[in-house]
Amino acid sequence: MSAEASTAIDIDRSVGDFSYPEQHTFDAGTGLTPQTIDYISDVKKEADWIRKFRHRALKVFQEKPMPTHWATKDLENIDFDKIRYYLSRGQQPTRSWEDVPDDMKETFERLGIPEQERKFLAGVEAQFDSEAAYSNVKESLEKQGVIFVNSTEGLREHPELFRKWFGKVIPTGDNKFSALNSAVFSGGSFIYVPPGVKVSHPLQAYFRINAENFGQFERTLIIADEGSEVMYMEGCTAPKFETSTLHSAVVELVAMPHAKIQYVTVQNWSANVFNLVTKRGMAHENAEIRWIDCNIGSRLTMKYPGVVMKGRKARGEVISIALANDGQHQDTGAKMIHAADETTSNIVSKSISVGQGRATYRGQVHIPKHLKGCKNNTECDALLINPKSKTDTYPAITVRGNQHATQHEASVSQVSEDQIFYMKQRGLSEAEAMSLSVNGFVNDLVREFPMEYSVELKRLIDLEMEGSVG
Amino acid sequence: MSIDIRDLHARIDDQEIIKGLNLTLPKGEVHAIMGPNGSGKSTLAKVLSGHEDYEVTNGSVSMDGEDLLELEADERSRAGLFLAFQYPHEIPGVSNANFIRAALQARLPEGEELDAVGFYKELYAAMDALEMDRKFTGRAVNEGFSGGEKKRNEILQMAMLKPVYAILDETDSGLDIDALRIVSKGVNAMRSQDRGILVITHYQRLLDYIVPDHVHVMKDGKIIRSGDKNLALELEERGYDWLSEESAA
Amino acid sequence: MGVIVEAENKSSSILEEAPAWDASEFPDWYREMQESAWEAARALPLPRAKNEPWRFANLKQVAAVGDYVAAPPVDEETARELVARSRMLDTSEHRGKLVFANETLVHDERPDEDGGLICASLAEAVTTHGQRLQEYFMTQEATLGSEKFALLHKSRTRSGLFLYVPAGMELTLPIEVYHYVAGHCASIFPHTLIVTGENAKVTVVDYYQSASEDEAGLSCGVVDLVAGQGSQIRYVACQNLSTRSANIHISSTLASADADVKSLQLQLGSAWSRTESVSHLSGKGANSDMLSVAVPAAGQEVDQRTLQHHAEAHTTSDLLYKNALSDRSRSVFAGLIMVDEGAHYTDAYQTCRNLLLSDDAEANAMPGLEINADQVKCSHGSTSGPITDEEIFYFKARGIPAETAKQLITFGFTAEVLAKLEQPAIEALLSRLVEAKFEKLA
Repeated sequence: MSAEASTAIDIDRSVGDFSYPEQHTFDAGTGLTPQTIDYISDVKKEADWIRKFRHRALKVFQEKPMPTHWATKDLENIDFDKIRYYLSRGQQPTRSWEDVPDDMKETFERLGIPEQERKFLAGVEAQFDSEAAYSNVKESLEKQGVIFVNSTEGLREHPELFRKWFGKVIPTGDNKFSALNSAVFSGGSFIYVPPGVKVSHPLQAYFRINAENFGQFERTLIIADEGSEVMYMEGCTAPKFETSTLHSAVVELVAMPHAKIQYVTVQNWSANVFNLVTKRGMAHENAEIRWIDCNIGSRLTMKYPGVVMKGRKARGEVISIALANDGQHQDTGAKMIHAADETTSNIVSKSISVGQGRATYRGQVHIPKHLKGCKNNTECDALLINPKSKTDTYPAITVRGNQHATQHEASVSQVSEDQIFYMKQRGLSEAEAMSLSVNGFVNDLVREFPMEYSVELKRLIDLEMEGSVG
Repeated sequence: MSIDIRDLHARIDDQEIIKGLNLTLPKGEVHAIMGPNGSGKSTLAKVLSGHEDYEVTNGSVSMDGEDLLELEADERSRAGLFLAFQYPHEIPGVSNANFIRAALQARLPEGEELDAVGFYKELYAAMDALEMDRKFTGRAVNEGFSGGEKKRNEILQMAMLKPVYAILDETDSGLDIDALRIVSKGVNAMRSQDRGILVITHYQRLLDYIVPDHVHVMKDGKIIRSGDKNLALELEERGYDWLSEESAA
Repeated sequence: MGVIVEAENKSSSILEEAPAWDASEFPDWYREMQESAWEAARALPLPRAKNEPWRFANLKQVAAVGDYVAAPPVDEETARELVARSRMLDTSEHRGKLVFANETLVHDERPDEDGGLICASLAEAVTTHGQRLQEYFMTQEATLGSEKFALLHKSRTRSGLFLYVPAGMELTLPIEVYHYVAGHCASIFPHTLIVTGENAKVTVVDYYQSASEDEAGLSCGVVDLVAGQGSQIRYVACQNLSTRSANIHISSTLASADADVKSLQLQLGSAWSRTESVSHLSGKGANSDMLSVAVPAAGQEVDQRTLQHHAEAHTTSDLLYKNALSDRSRSVFAGLIMVDEGAHYTDAYQTCRNLLLSDDAEANAMPGLEINADQVKCSHGSTSGPITDEEIFYFKARGIPAETAKQLITFGFTAEVLAKLEQPAIEALLSRLVEAKFEKLA
């Protein structure tokens, strides 16, 4: 490939790369102590059990070592004492864009959120630093009993619905970062879909980091009651600051029998964000949970969406696209825990490494003893664009008993020189040929995203590919 | 107006394949190059279209006065040169329609968008002429195509890109009689005063369908004999050996 | 069985008590090397659960290494009996045969050392070919988790084969080496070092066996294959220790330009068998095929760690590991293809297949890739599953009963790997051994 001269590519994240001056009323300061937690709990006027939950989590976080015995040493570069853990203006999320403070409103307008809402969304929540600025769900859904609020409101107003599952799919001590989130969480979406309700349009949340040195710790819990269906989409951006920023979310999904949850993420963090996210769903009998995930940007992303298949015939799926550019490490994957008979899981992961970017797939498939008829299929394909592009694959598959079938396949390839020549002969420049080839590589996965997102996705991939060849 | 090849020498790695080749392909004419296996026919096609594996060590190639060898492969294409590949490459995940569209878009000035409605109208008409099923628009380029389908797809691209000069590299190989007829019909429909076509083939059979104005015989990297279409018939009858003996004498 | 001299004291664990070096037996350099290896081994802790190379490993078995003691010498009668049992390949099918019982050479039949060939027991080579030996002895460090056990081996080994095949020499028939462990809780540290000069060819088979099926023994072996330019090495490790035993086998292949190495592990015996196999492809055109068949049953465990390390461009490797698991047996496979920066045009494949024959069997697979160069072709695949009903139905439709069908399918599952060695006599032998194990199971 005539792409030896790949230099650091300064990606045009112009759409997301802007920020407004900070005007925070509430600021928990830098560093993390029990006082930080009391401050957050006070501002949120939280119930006592939540305050205790947070304090317990802080202890777990402090006791747990960094998982560097298997993960990258880059984690050691996070300075937890320099991060600001809570920033807000004490705003209540409004139901009308008119009432959103101007700078926040402009931020979301520039990101196209209100327009998307008008076009195809059933509900939107827009979070600015620690708290949501806007939250609205279509009236018709509200009448059917659909609840779509932020975490503070969810725990305060609907404890009977949410407390039962809060912290149950992902226990505080699951990993160091789930403990961190449990200690300082703020914002995120709490969603409840009543039995039989099928939400035809997606619900969307947009997570925006505006402040420097800030950690965003949203907490999301989605419960789809029996036979219901919902699709949730999240988008994330942050401006390009000099110092690194931390995003560490916890997302728990509960699909009751026969329910279906699809969780779509398009992440386009700027290249200084540590994005360390724990996502897991619990699927009861005949329920289905799909994680559809696209990771672009960030300095380091560690994210392994999981499904615990707790009921018979439950299904879990992870569809994942990752693009790692210079200075970026996309460490993503999937976790499939089969805990009932006849459960099936599917993982399809495609990664693209550009320049000196590194894409890692880490997977776990677990089929314990004395279950019957469980199936897993895993496919990981990596595409390397430049001579120094890197990719790793580390799956771990455990199968007990002779009534299951698992299959794992992974390959590493590049766009062949013959293919590029063929396309050049038709008049496409090398860069165009490469971009078209890369889009072709992920095309079958892009199709799994909602239309509106797939267009955006292609545009983002093209942007990332710019300058990587030629 | 023509493609002019003068004393062309080209090699791959350390092996010289084209060894002083001269040829003129004027607009409005169809020329055929015939020759035994290993004579350098396909290499010539790749060298003309700008494949990076081949190095031109001597000689010149101009297209309508412009130095072709100075141009990148994609620039040659946009300047009007088309190669129908002997082994068309598969492009996973990229649909045929999108691929052709991208190729046409690449020919438009910056900022100008291809008219999608007009594009599909033209595409469908061209596909109908080549008796190609509409489903081929949505399928990935050449992926899972049969040999005949791939060759038809090459001619479809030629019809859509409307080159000034076209090189057909062994387009007849792997075609049954029906497919050969359809592909030839497609090529003949492209014959025009404004277009030069170079047909590279091993067999005379194709030239029954695409009747050339001139026939050249290539051997060991050179044109060793030129004539009219009767030369092809003679070759069919007598093989290539009598020529080499003659030229050796 | 003959009289085995019992270990006097159980507390003389090989992890605790320094080896008893006999100053008269080996030259100074060797003893000093062993002494410093012992210090280094002592300094390292036993593997722990958090050590990534020991993920899914049975750490109880690891700790149990401390239960073994130094092997006592065997008496003459036992030695005679073991030699009599050492008849895997026919005399016409091998070029040489060495038999070690508790690390003492008890049968010595080998090619003459003509034309620069060195074919010696390790103990002999230390004295007579010290310089040559030092050049290659334990120069490949263990990197897949058993660093401590490799050092332990280094501090104690005094048996095995040193084979140096000079440039151009071809030994067409295999050299067989038998390693017996005798006595309860006895341990042996067999060593194999094969070095080939330019365009040389050689085949070696190691057999690891117990004197008695009733005794628990430990074999902690190290194998280094150093393949010179354009040379060819075929290597087989056939492990059939008693089912109470433990096996640690650390092997490395270093392949220079255009060298071609095929190595195969056949795992039949021992309660726990940990194999660590590394291939370093360090010259253009180098190839390494890594093969393994394991048929664990009852409570047997196989723990396999592999690395295909492509350090140079235009190198190839192909790994195929198959485990057919019965009863409560368990397997762990962790493999890694590592392609260094600049190692373009690497072709590397890695396949691990687990056939689960019982509802209590367990298979763990961790097939990994670390690719730091483009223009490579790398893939891995791993499957775990039972014999499917459709497969059995196909046999039934031809009139073959289900039980027979299962046996045929299982046997065919392993046969594919054995055939890849392309050594008909050895393939036939290994097939017989696999078949015998299946028969015992049925």
